Amino acid sequence: MDPLCFLSALIFLPALGALILVAFPSKAVDAMRMFTVAITVLVFAMTLNLWLGAGSFDSSIATIQPVAEGVSKPWIPDWNIHYRLGYDGISLPLVVLTGFVCVLAALASWSINKLHKGYFMLFLLLETGMLGTFLALDFFLFYVFWEVMLLPMYFLIGIWGGPRREYAAIKFFLYTLAGSVLMLIAMLMFYFGSGREFSLIKLAELAQDGHTFDYTTQVIAFVLLFIGFAIKVPSFPFHTWLPDAHVEAPTPISMILAGVLLKMGGYGILRIAFPLCPLGAQAAAYTLVGIGVFSIIYGAFAALAQTDFKRLVAYSSVSHMGYVVLGMAVWKINEHNGTDFWLQGMSGAMFQMIAHGVSSAGMFFMVGVIYDRVHHRNLNEFGGLANRMPLYSGLAAGIFFAGLGLPGLCGFIGEVAVVISTWNFSPLLAIIAASGVILTAAYILWTLQRVYLGAEYKGPHSEEIDHMPFNAREAFVAFTLLITAIVLGVYPAIVFDAMNPTLQGLVDSLQKAAPADAATAVTQALQ
Amino acid sequence: MDSLGPELATYLSIAWLLPLVGFVIEVMNGFGQWNRLSRKAALLAIACIGTGFLFSSYAFCRWGTETNWAVFAEHESHDGHASVLDNPKEVGHDHHAENKSAVPLAYSGKFYTLAKFGNLELSLDYYIDSLTLLMFCMVTFIATCIHVFAVGYMSDELTIEYVDHHAHDSHGHHVHRLGRFYRFFSFLSLFCFAMLGLVIAGNIFQVFVFWELVGICSFLLIGFYTERKSANVAANKAFIVNRVGDFGFIIGLMILWTYCGTFNFTEYKSGETMKPGLFEMVRTAEGELTYTDDTHETVALHTSNEHGHWVAPQGESTKRRTIPYMLLVVAGLGVFGGCIGKSAQFPLQTWLPDAMEGPTPVSALVHSATMVAAGVYLAARFFPVFTSEVLLAIAYTGCITLFVAATIAVVATDIKKVLAYSTISQLGYMMLAIGLGGWAAGLFHLITHAFFKSLMFLASGAVIYGCHHEQEMPKMGGLFKKMPITALTMLVGVIAIAGLAIPGTPIAFSGYHSKDAIVATALAYTQHNPVHFLLFMTPLVTAGITAFYMFRLWFYTFTGTPRDEHVYEHAHEVPKVMFVPLLVLSVLAAGCAIGGEHGQLFKMISLSEPVGLAEGVPASGVAQVTLPSHDDIHAVHSTAGVVALLAASLGTLTAFLLYCKPVVKPENIKNQFPGLHNFLVEKWYFDDLYEALFIRPSHAVARWATGFDRLILDGILHGAAKSTVIVSAIDRKFDEGFVDGIVNLVGNTTRRFGYSLRVFQTGQIRQYVMFIAVSVVALFAVLFALLPKA
Repeated sequence: MDPLCFLSALIFLPALGALILVAFPSKAVDAMRMFTVAITVLVFAMTLNLWLGAGSFDSSIATIQPVAEGVSKPWIPDWNIHYRLGYDGISLPLVVLTGFVCVLAALASWSINKLHKGYFMLFLLLETGMLGTFLALDFFLFYVFWEVMLLPMYFLIGIWGGPRREYAAIKFFLYTLAGSVLMLIAMLMFYFGSGREFSLIKLAELAQDGHTFDYTTQVIAFVLLFIGFAIKVPSFPFHTWLPDAHVEAPTPISMILAGVLLKMGGYGILRIAFPLCPLGAQAAAYTLVGIGVFSIIYGAFAALAQTDFKRLVAYSSVSHMGYVVLGMAVWKINEHNGTDFWLQGMSGAMFQMIAHGVSSAGMFFMVGVIYDRVHHRNLNEFGGLANRMPLYSGLAAGIFFAGLGLPGLCGFIGEVAVVISTWNFSPLLAIIAASGVILTAAYILWTLQRVYLGAEYKGPHSEEIDHMPFNAREAFVAFTLLITAIVLGVYPAIVFDAMNPTLQGLVDSLQKAAPADAATAVTQALQ
Repeated sequence: MDSLGPELATYLSIAWLLPLVGFVIEVMNGFGQWNRLSRKAALLAIACIGTGFLFSSYAFCRWGTETNWAVFAEHESHDGHASVLDNPKEVGHDHHAENKSAVPLAYSGKFYTLAKFGNLELSLDYYIDSLTLLMFCMVTFIATCIHVFAVGYMSDELTIEYVDHHAHDSHGHHVHRLGRFYRFFSFLSLFCFAMLGLVIAGNIFQVFVFWELVGICSFLLIGFYTERKSANVAANKAFIVNRVGDFGFIIGLMILWTYCGTFNFTEYKSGETMKPGLFEMVRTAEGELTYTDDTHETVALHTSNEHGHWVAPQGESTKRRTIPYMLLVVAGLGVFGGCIGKSAQFPLQTWLPDAMEGPTPVSALVHSATMVAAGVYLAARFFPVFTSEVLLAIAYTGCITLFVAATIAVVATDIKKVLAYSTISQLGYMMLAIGLGGWAAGLFHLITHAFFKSLMFLASGAVIYGCHHEQEMPKMGGLFKKMPITALTMLVGVIAIAGLAIPGTPIAFSGYHSKDAIVATALAYTQHNPVHFLLFMTPLVTAGITAFYMFRLWFYTFTGTPRDEHVYEHAHEVPKVMFVPLLVLSVLAAGCAIGGEHGQLFKMISLSEPVGLAEGVPASGVAQVTLPSHDDIHAVHSTAGVVALLAASLGTLTAFLLYCKPVVKPENIKNQFPGLHNFLVEKWYFDDLYEALFIRPSHAVARWATGFDRLILDGILHGAAKSTVIVSAIDRKFDEGFVDGIVNLVGNTTRRFGYSLRVFQTGQIRQYVMFIAVSVVALFAVLFALLPKA
């Protein structure tokens, strides 16, 4: 199949599914569930095909695939806007992750108990938005998909959410919109500064030749873009929408929010902010690392103080995503290893995004399972679940250990790769980042203790636990997540191998674009 | 010969991975097919670890035959020098005899790559030397014994209704639950996997990986009785305190990674080229550091291979890799920080006594024989990277630990707690030995301790089992009559740890030899470094204290009159499945170190000793300490042996006089020094100190963080939202009052004007016609008046 058609089919298949859902009778809830799951499975299969299928993805190529310019068709020729798609080692893992998380989120959607048709339609639209964002290579198209993603999310939280859903939905919407506006300004800066160019690949080339955009432009643009994406990551101090959104969102939406949407921020930084403003990125590197480290510690501390189970997991996301920002920005050349430590940080950050997508989606799912039964999330009113629901508790422990960063599970690899690459950049920040391991252990273990261990269940609706045993569908979701976490933790090379050439290319081109690194400058001066 | 390495790796990997297979099957079937009365999980676990022992032993034998048992044969032609050590490569018939390296004969290789970043590579490797083989055999053997013992000890879990007398629900009733026999064995299997992975690890990163995994197994096993809050708290404490140590570990890793660019212990193949490991980078083939300057502030790293030697590249400074000396020290201290946590050394020792909440077989396996010894193992493994300052820190840490723990053990009344503190104390001895340069002595003690301590823990488990889960010694007494086998095997362990021997004869249990080796090292060390005399005095005095508290335990438990009739009445000897492991272990606890420093065990260990230790190490660095040579140690050996024995005998005698044939009542002494007693019972107030220093502040900061989010960040947001609302309100007022006012004004005026015109709108045609006519006339009049006259 023609690559453009294939990619378009991949992106719009969920939207098509949403259209077909209109024809379903409103009472046919099970049919709609199964249909949605079928669509997501099909999409996941297509993403896997993109990754593993013959001739579709070559992990040894650094540039965009299937062709270096991306496959494109003119869209609005007057404004030089193209419908341009493509993938590389940065976006492909995230595309696969999107497909994966959506299948599991669809399977977790059984707990939705009203307006099923609308829910599943928005769910599928959301998936289209996410896939489009990851595959778009035209800034305008990227922006459009970014917004397409935003609206379904707003309604999914605002209609199917918890008691304070309107507040949370509006907060989410406004925060993200603020980010979008900043991104829009930056986009127009580039558009007019470059002589009407929207292609991200062209813009990156122009930015890296060093003549088209001067230092000031790049710094301003970088700040705008970074704030826009940092809101999505979310980094301190733009993170307070996340706990509210998570707490109010229904379980499957939390899974997608944590599993995929937060990665948009990291992806945006790597795909747009860094390549389009290398000088700005370099100037901001220390700030970025600082923000990352601070988010790690701050999120962990905040998580320690939570009494709401979901809020705790949300804050753990703030902490874990701090590693992503940290790893991307450790831009410093080592005398003997060149850019290798930076490459390591970036690879670790990318891996952390994938790993966090698995572990946090799993944690939110596990919270959802117990919430469906006892209808509360107060950490001090659980306990004793290990005896009441042994299989569930065992799987939950495994997934929370993945979040804790236990070796052998996915969380460890990303964190450790990022942290040990940081010393080269700044020993002080590296030490602070490393101290996160203590806090993470503290809040995760304390949570496990309060929820799963102990003599007996202390909260309300105790009888519901017996009435609703942990069913096969839930077990399947949890097992899949845990096994994925183990596979990624034991053999991380499957992800690293796919990303490495692209990240190496990115690091090299950035380094070429902004060579005035302090360390090399000093070394050169000395010689 | 070249194929021996991979061959050994295969055997050891089988031994390593079998328990993992066992774990998966056990944990899966535990939920499924097997019922709660089935012993299948235990049988599978024993089969896995037992087979693991066979494979380890086979690997050991293969290694032995391939090297013609040169390690022992050397003993017969002994000429006063350990010639095995002088030329380790000869032992292995290495083809590259000239390829001398900073480490003794070892086989290393790669399992697979985890991640590759440019030239940096994270992988899983193996590193096999005599120490690895020995550790494999020791761990699998002890684990097998403990697995068998646990079949008996945990048999009360073979039920569908287990009543936990230590856990209460909110109504004060005992907790009833399903038995969890299978789960116990699955966790044990997982632990064995993690522990063996730690031993076989070929790089420091991999050590860290399994380091964490044994930690989580320890967490799971301490918290095995999940219904008991104390168990959960202890489990959390163990893991989190360990993570504090790991924080240091990570700092060490970061420094080494940044400066050396590798984690491998020894040279490894990267693509087609050989690259140096950490040991070759830091030390020369003679085991010395190379400095690039006279002030010894920068250490050159050896990255260039010349004639089979790793040397520092000469010439341009850009080609030379270096590491500041201070950072090498920090890296060493950092890694040692991890060892402090894992081996429960001062100041992170507080978790281990609490860890006794776990079932006793766990205490025997995880918290005395194997996992806690991992810290010592790593300190030994990583010895070549440690500078003299780090070694001094290790020595003092060990020294403080062994004393502090021993003093607390004196007043402890819980039989397991006494053993726990004695474990900490003995681990302190091992650390001390390594810090003093008594590398082999420390590991010697590690092995002997593993045997006698696991024996004693199992024996204490037998006592607890026999007394129906009574752990308090004041409620025991006179149990010898009830459980003679347990009492006698325990006595073997007590004698071994106390280090008693009959002078002038070779009759001595294992602990005597190993402790003797440590004390001798300490004595030789203080002779060279008189400033550090405490490093000899403390272990010597503590040897006496050790003998005292261990015999106190034995006398208190097994002799005298029963202090609690109820406990005594129901006490009974343990079944065969439990005492057979005791007997097996007691044979080894007594005899594993036969021959002392000329015995097989010590020779095995010595073979892996880092190069350069045998001749002693001259003073260097800030610490300015001299490490004694083997000859120095040998010279003071008999003296040290006598004083140590004297101290031990004194301790034993005191215990005898206080607890067996009391001349003075212990209570009287206690009442004489209430302050001191309290200080010891409260464990030197470490727990309270940490509570005040770290735990409460952490929670406070955590609350601030949430408060900051809620009040400040959300406050700003809500403020912004509110001001938007206010602005909108003003806007509305403006709109309604001003803009609308004008519009309304215009409208109203128009309307009023309209109204005023209404009078003309009468609806009468005649009137309209008249208006029109008048208007037309008027218009024409105006036109004529205004038009220019033509």
